[in-house]
Amino acid sequence: MKNAVHEPPEGEQTRVDYKMVTFTLAGKDYGIDIMKVKEISKASKFTFVPNAAPFVRGVYNLRGDIISVIDLRTFFNLSSEDEEGGTPVNMIILRLDDHVLAVIVDTIEKVVGISSEAVQPPHPLFGDINIKYISGVVEHEKKLYVVLDVERIFGTVEEEEVQEERPQVEAVQTSLPEQPSMEPILRENVDIGFIEETLVTFMNFHPSGVNQEWIHERFRSWKSQRGDDVQLSNTADAQAFLAPFTSPHSQTYWSAEYMDGIASLLPEEKTGNLHVWNPGCGSGHESYSIATVLKKRYPQVNLKIIAQDHDLIKISTAPGLTVDPGVSSGFFDPFLVDGDGSRQFGKTIKDSILFEYHDINHEITLPRLDMVVMRDTISYLPADRQRRVFSAIGESMKSGGIMILGSHEVPLDRDNWTRVEASGFVAYKKN
Amino acid sequence: MRVEYINPFVESAFGIIQEVLQSQIVRKDLYLKKTSQPVMGVAALVGLAGDVEGRVLIDMSQQTAVKIASTMNGEELTEMDELAKATITELANMITAQAVTKLFDLGFKFDLTPPSIITGDNMQVSNADVEALIVPLELPQGLVEINVAIRERM
Repeated sequence: MKNAVHEPPEGEQTRVDYKMVTFTLAGKDYGIDIMKVKEISKASKFTFVPNAAPFVRGVYNLRGDIISVIDLRTFFNLSSEDEEGGTPVNMIILRLDDHVLAVIVDTIEKVVGISSEAVQPPHPLFGDINIKYISGVVEHEKKLYVVLDVERIFGTVEEEEVQEERPQVEAVQTSLPEQPSMEPILRENVDIGFIEETLVTFMNFHPSGVNQEWIHERFRSWKSQRGDDVQLSNTADAQAFLAPFTSPHSQTYWSAEYMDGIASLLPEEKTGNLHVWNPGCGSGHESYSIATVLKKRYPQVNLKIIAQDHDLIKISTAPGLTVDPGVSSGFFDPFLVDGDGSRQFGKTIKDSILFEYHDINHEITLPRLDMVVMRDTISYLPADRQRRVFSAIGESMKSGGIMILGSHEVPLDRDNWTRVEASGFVAYKKN
Repeated sequence: MRVEYINPFVESAFGIIQEVLQSQIVRKDLYLKKTSQPVMGVAALVGLAGDVEGRVLIDMSQQTAVKIASTMNGEELTEMDELAKATITELANMITAQAVTKLFDLGFKFDLTPPSIITGDNMQVSNADVEALIVPLELPQGLVEINVAIRERM
């Protein structure tokens, strides 16, 4: 027991696995993960961008690359120092997943090496900065550093988030007497933050740009339903919260209406090869439904559906999946054959689907794709993995290819896709 | 890894090992591994070609390999000598060959390469862009992992 008490401090000192660049802002110390920092620079003249958000100081020419410059003081709603006199300011240039930008800070201190275990989670009601932008707080040489999660603050994933933030900033700046109005907004963000964390814990559901809109919407209805007791305290709560998330006909064959709807999103003509990726196919109901839709629409096409799941039991049953008489409502009939006592899909459909035991967290190898059907799958992967999956799809997908996500999911790399909608069904078309 | 391939490999590994070693085998849960993975010490490798590309790797520690070779030869071996290596190679050949036969009956046509054996410490095996299916078998002689990485030709 004594050992247990003495060990942690030693561990903290010996193992440095996280380095951060530290800086000050309004007299407080902050840190940013060094892996996100491209370089440090001083500059004074920024090109003003009309109509930009208040926290955008302008753009800056970094050796030929035009990058946005963000004033962290304004962004965090701290009083900004008026030093327009052309004195150079300190900038930390961040390299995020998909873009580079600069943030203006007061002074840049040094690089501090710490153990990532020493970072303590932020307190729900942190001072000036919203909790979800903070990775944690760490003590180093008697100073407390607030470690910022820059990927969350400035990443494209959270773009709408940043815009939502704006009214809040303005509200405080313009109408001080209405100070209490900030409380509910902050409160809601804190609550959502907690809900997001519990969804990861209980359901392995990872909130991100993919499902953010839905979560916020769902939170409001959840709140009106549950009143003050909004927290998800167990798996049953989390399941109840997520229940409306599930897309129609999950784990079952699609209904005729649903298949017609999906078919209406597809291009008129298609010849030659048609390659489809269907990750998270479970027992294969979805894959068979897609195969039926596509074979019906394009009888001549050489269809190949790569259907994958990491659940060995489920995927093992997929190749021999049967169709109960009640299910099919006629749509599947032309493709079914009678086996001993039960009906199964015939050779045309079976030969077009390749069921694979695969873990999407591992390498993803895909042929050139015409279509991706990935309903309610991506939300159950960690955020970094979600980005990897979308980039794998982006690389393999042919231009004009169609991606179908869950009813409440949107792609992270929205610039690469055009939203198409037909009779209430939504798909994303590769640009 | 195509679902249809899984069972033939599991069945033949289980069947062959049980047959040649005449001992109780405990089958553990199958799982998937990333491409780059450590090898325990002795690896017998059989390549697959045809409709697919890939390889089967029978992986065990040196100690286990010597014990298995001893049992199969009916004599006590003490080190990883030529006989022991040849024995393990043969074991790999038998398992893979039977699996391929079973697969042929299901309509998949594979060719085999002659097995080779690799021994050493601290080895890693990696196959570009293919994850591997691991079939762990707990033998009285130690743990043997059948490591199958197969990719469809597209």
